[in-house]
Amino acid sequence: MSILLDNFIEVGSIILFAIGFTTLLVHNNLIKKIIGLNIMDTSIFLYFISIGYIDEAHAPIFKEGVVQYVNPVPSGLMLTGIVVAVSVTAFALALTIRLHSIYGTLELDEIMKMREENI
Amino acid sequence: MSLISVAPLVIILLLLISSFVLPFLKKPIKTSLPILGALTLYAWIHGLTYLGKDMYTIQAGHAEPPFGIALRVSAVEIVIGLLFMTVTTLIIWFSAQQFHREVGEKQQKTFLVLVHLLVASLLGIVYTQDLFNGFVFIEVSTLAACGIIVVKNKADNIKAAVKYLILSSLGSGLVLMGIAYLYALTGYLDMNYIHEALVPIASEKSRMILISMVLFMTGAGIKSALFPMHIWLPDAHTAAPGASSALLSGLVIKAPAVYFLKVCVMVYGYNMINQTAFLQLILLFSGTGMIVGSLFARTQKNMKRMIAYSSVAQMGYIFFGIGLGTPAGMAIAVYHMLGHGVTKATLFLVASTFIDKLKSYELSSLKGVGREMPFEMAVFTLCGFSMVGIPILPGFISKWNLALATIETGQVWLLAIILVSSVLNAAYYFPVTINGFFSDEEGLKPNDNHVAKAPLAVLTALLVLLGALSGPILKLIEAALT
Repeated sequence: MSILLDNFIEVGSIILFAIGFTTLLVHNNLIKKIIGLNIMDTSIFLYFISIGYIDEAHAPIFKEGVVQYVNPVPSGLMLTGIVVAVSVTAFALALTIRLHSIYGTLELDEIMKMREENI
Repeated sequence: MSLISVAPLVIILLLLISSFVLPFLKKPIKTSLPILGALTLYAWIHGLTYLGKDMYTIQAGHAEPPFGIALRVSAVEIVIGLLFMTVTTLIIWFSAQQFHREVGEKQQKTFLVLVHLLVASLLGIVYTQDLFNGFVFIEVSTLAACGIIVVKNKADNIKAAVKYLILSSLGSGLVLMGIAYLYALTGYLDMNYIHEALVPIASEKSRMILISMVLFMTGAGIKSALFPMHIWLPDAHTAAPGASSALLSGLVIKAPAVYFLKVCVMVYGYNMINQTAFLQLILLFSGTGMIVGSLFARTQKNMKRMIAYSSVAQMGYIFFGIGLGTPAGMAIAVYHMLGHGVTKATLFLVASTFIDKLKSYELSSLKGVGREMPFEMAVFTLCGFSMVGIPILPGFISKWNLALATIETGQVWLLAIILVSSVLNAAYYFPVTINGFFSDEEGLKPNDNHVAKAPLAVLTALLVLLGALSGPILKLIEAALT
């Protein structure tokens, strides 16, 4: 139990990851899927940044009299990660709009049903 | 550093830059094709100079690893890079005649821009030595690959692209989580540095290392269509326009597999992967994929869907090679990527020729076509032979060596999977050929659309060449992997 409490950031991010993962897989609604994807990505960002975080250390910007900085590498990486996640989300939403204009619904199972009726 | 030795970096950069210039041109195909051709030539000069020499790294930027990003150049990266450049150029050459008819003049521009981006990112995935850099390139390739599916603005394409995008993002999420685990364990992102830091703590942190292995396998497995995670592939590869299908099936699904192979060999190393149950897991998935993929392919009526399902089976072979966990197995995985990349690209191009000329997707419409279009049918037959495993062709060589490598690891019962899968391959490729050439029925009359034959001829020549030169190629790859 104490391990879980000591590493609460890691535990939290894994729980978030699981929530995102299941939302992505279980839900039929495309918007919910995209939300799940974002929760999953964010949980990874949280995990990554917590690796480089040091308590009471400063942001990695040079300043007189500061001894300890947090590790800037994970933050830098996650900046890239956020950009990637944003572009994937934007693209997914654009495709969703297209799909909605064709089928008039966002539920994947209804879309599948319509396709079968057409064939 | 001479101009030849930095070729991989220069090619990636030029492809990225050119993709931003193409939208402003009136006839982008007239610029795109020469650029791709010149870069392919450059890649070949580099490849022929450095194949068989020691591996070296290229620094991208001023910082040295572990902080900076390095590109690793060894026989594995060179041959896969050559495959990507050469096949892309031939596909674009083919599509110049045909693509606008299938999709439209305006979309061709978008397509070319995306292809340049796609190839740059694929080469990046293959050459990079930095895990996170690889992840970014994987994401770029995903977006570009979805893009070349939706250039054809049909409901099917958008549906397939959404499915592909969502599953792919799931895959890259898992890969990123794997990278996070390794970074938490070691504090490095450079493959060599991670390996050095992992070896002393391997037994102590074995559970965390196993989790990261499984994360990488699932992530790369989704993107490379490893069997239970393949569900997006048939839809995407069937709906996409002909040239896109050839790119997707021939090249795009190979790149994450190369990344995974590099992670296995360079990050974990042979000792570490052989100590866990991880390899059995890969063998299980890939073995089932080899058989089930072929079974699905047999039941298809749509030409492109059959070829797409065959890709699932063939990706099984590649992961099977990785799953053996020996240098010989890994070398065959790389060789099979070459063989399958060329064969599958050719098959999809031939299929799109048939679809263009006969205006039918059905396999049954190919009856008696051999008399009207003997060249295309012969190419199809040759590729089918390679898939089934007729000697000299690459398919045979990878199956033969895969069998030898399997015996070497002592898991003789696995040979049954290879045999059954080959028989199943024959069961769906041979009927097409037999019906095509020897059916008594009067076939559909092809229309007189002009479709390029030269790229198909070059691809077929490459296929035969790959088979004929298999000995030295396999030796080079294996030397780079030990």
